[in-house]
Amino acid sequence: MTRRVPHHDATVNKRHALAFLVLSLLLAAAVLLGVGIGAVPVPPASLIRFLVVKLGLSSLPLPDERDITILLLLRFPRVVAAMLVGSSLATCGVVMQGLFRNPMASPEILGLSAGGSLGAVVAITAGFASGSLLAIPAFTIAGAMLSAACIYMLSSSRGTTSLLYIVIAGMAISSLFSGLTSALLLFSREYQVSQFIFWTMGGLDGRSWQHILYSAPVLVPGMIVLSFFARELNLFTLGEEEALSLGMRVETTKRVLLVIAAVVTGVAIAVSGPIGFVGLLIPHLLRFLVGPDHRALLPASALGGALFLVLCDLLGRALLPPFEIRVGIITAILGSPYLLSLIVRIQRRSVVGAR
Amino acid sequence: MSGAFLQACGLTWTVAHTTIVDSLDLAVERGELVGVIGPNGAGKTTLLRLLAGLLTPTAGEVLLDGREIGGMESRRRARLVSFMTQDMSQVFPFTVMEILLMGRYPHLGRFQKEGTDDRERARRMLSYVGLTAMVDRAFSGLSGGERQLVLFAKALVQDTDGLLLDEPSSSLDILHQDRIFSMTQELAREGRAVVASLHNLSVAAQYCSRLVLMEKGRIACDGRPEQVLKPEILDEVYGIRTMVSPSLATGSLTVTVVPRDRGATGTRVHLIGGAGSAVNLTRELYRLGCSLTGGIAHEYDSDEKLWRSLGIGCMTVRAFSRITDEQIREAAHFVEQADLTILCSFPVGQGNIGNLRLASLARRLVVLKTGPEEVPRTFFSEEGRKLFAQACTGSNVLDHDEILSELLKARDGSAVP
Repeated sequence: MTRRVPHHDATVNKRHALAFLVLSLLLAAAVLLGVGIGAVPVPPASLIRFLVVKLGLSSLPLPDERDITILLLLRFPRVVAAMLVGSSLATCGVVMQGLFRNPMASPEILGLSAGGSLGAVVAITAGFASGSLLAIPAFTIAGAMLSAACIYMLSSSRGTTSLLYIVIAGMAISSLFSGLTSALLLFSREYQVSQFIFWTMGGLDGRSWQHILYSAPVLVPGMIVLSFFARELNLFTLGEEEALSLGMRVETTKRVLLVIAAVVTGVAIAVSGPIGFVGLLIPHLLRFLVGPDHRALLPASALGGALFLVLCDLLGRALLPPFEIRVGIITAILGSPYLLSLIVRIQRRSVVGAR
Repeated sequence: MSGAFLQACGLTWTVAHTTIVDSLDLAVERGELVGVIGPNGAGKTTLLRLLAGLLTPTAGEVLLDGREIGGMESRRRARLVSFMTQDMSQVFPFTVMEILLMGRYPHLGRFQKEGTDDRERARRMLSYVGLTAMVDRAFSGLSGGERQLVLFAKALVQDTDGLLLDEPSSSLDILHQDRIFSMTQELAREGRAVVASLHNLSVAAQYCSRLVLMEKGRIACDGRPEQVLKPEILDEVYGIRTMVSPSLATGSLTVTVVPRDRGATGTRVHLIGGAGSAVNLTRELYRLGCSLTGGIAHEYDSDEKLWRSLGIGCMTVRAFSRITDEQIREAAHFVEQADLTILCSFPVGQGNIGNLRLASLARRLVVLKTGPEEVPRTFFSEEGRKLFAQACTGSNVLDHDEILSELLKARDGSAVP
């Protein structure tokens, strides 16, 4: 069949292709910058030479030993961790917003991040963390699952479709778990300021290949599976009743999505601690770029989240050398004004609380 | 009835100890356009949700094309029956086309993209509802009526043999209301089964082939519009007095609410009218809450039409026929039982001269005076003039306002006039 493809769809496809191209190029550039910039600068020339040789494209001699050590053991794992965490949190943000048809939802706002942190701190306090490297991710997953279960039960009780309801419920869960986290850390014997900051604010310092090694095999497939549910997320935005009448198995889908999102959030938090605003901010920014269709929005947000967190981390390292500003502080400073503007805009459209 | 496309048996739905739908039986055939009517909270929306398989019944079952709907694979169910919701909210900026294409969900595989055919279908349905120009607009930016039309188009894009429409025209102007229901009639004629809940009874009567009147989760009445829309039935279910009369333009029934004054008088009044002479008085006495009867009336007379559409008991004889002595005897109980019989001001000819004889049997007769002058009436025979004069002697001759004030006095405590 060679019927004409309507003009409109061609334009959309072209715009999407362009957006993905630009995002990928920006991400590549950000990675190069992120690897090159830091307390000890690595000259771009040796960085490029290192990459070219490592990729087997040339047989030039490798650059300076010290540079290689910095690149391999410090910079690369850190940038890769930023990418993984950024894309995971952004993807989960898209899923939460679609699932609850709520522009203010995110793993952080709905308490999944706080649950994950609490899990980690329980693992540390109980002494499991020193036993196995996998103890912390196991406990962060469990914590995020606990929050997700609370949210699921709250959202399934009838007549609770108001936009504010689920957000306030999430914030309550979030505050409770954050409070427990702080209390546990303050009273624990192993209490250290750096750990306290890490599990309340998040950070990417000292992330090694170990962290990548256990997180990537969960995060990457997790995000891929989430992207399989793009059309279901589209239907969720119509409301659960509508989704049901279109033949979606709403409850099953909701549970599957929440479980995967909790696992992905939990593992991301095991790597970076609870970094805020990525999951809330990125989906909105990318919706401007590629529209609300989750088939484009999910991959675009994954790219955008990676880009955003790599840049934020870079900013934190580059602003006041040799000091580092934690990435969670940077995202909060950039994200809070946006959250406020979002609330104002939603209020102006007076959709808060409306069905 | 096993062949019905959509069938409910003993359907019950209870939430928080309240029974919303109560052991209800219903069968909808292909080709039917069924209107579900009833007061707020009667369970209309819940019934539609149950029929669509969106709720699991507490008891009973729904059969869709002969199979139990709850055990059906959900996408298969969604290819057989669609549901148009009243919830039109959307917080994300999906375009109208994107919303419409969501209707193709049950027809597509997990990784299948909507094809040219799907888009063509969406465009066609959008043009049916007259919104072609809106195809690339954000759904959330449309007016309430436009969104409702898009959701209707989406139900059509879903392409199902059963359509369940929950108040599909609640936000629409009369043009678009007609468009939606005309299309719905068309769909029924094509052999689909359509059930729509709606509040506007005249609209229901105009378009639906069958009406189901719900009351407290049960079916109070089920049948053709003229079987269901009767003043006495509506009074019982809605608790309000109505007038049901066929529209002169379309012939379909129209339902008009006729409010009654509070603290109504219960005075029994019989009206003897003809040629529309009792219309004004009927309206006012009805509003006062008098217990009215009328007649003897000729068929198709405007008095008779009004009485019938208000559900007022009356005796009717064939048009232009002469009222016989036997008919007068038959009607005598009306005037004998009435606290008051009012002889309205109609021309007296051969056909209705019997009404003057009936008036003479009244327990208490009032002759309606139409102007300042006494009895400016038309008589086509000397006998009529004589009979009228007899009727006037020994009875009150009152004008319209005097009759009303007498009745009001009666209502406010004093004796029957």
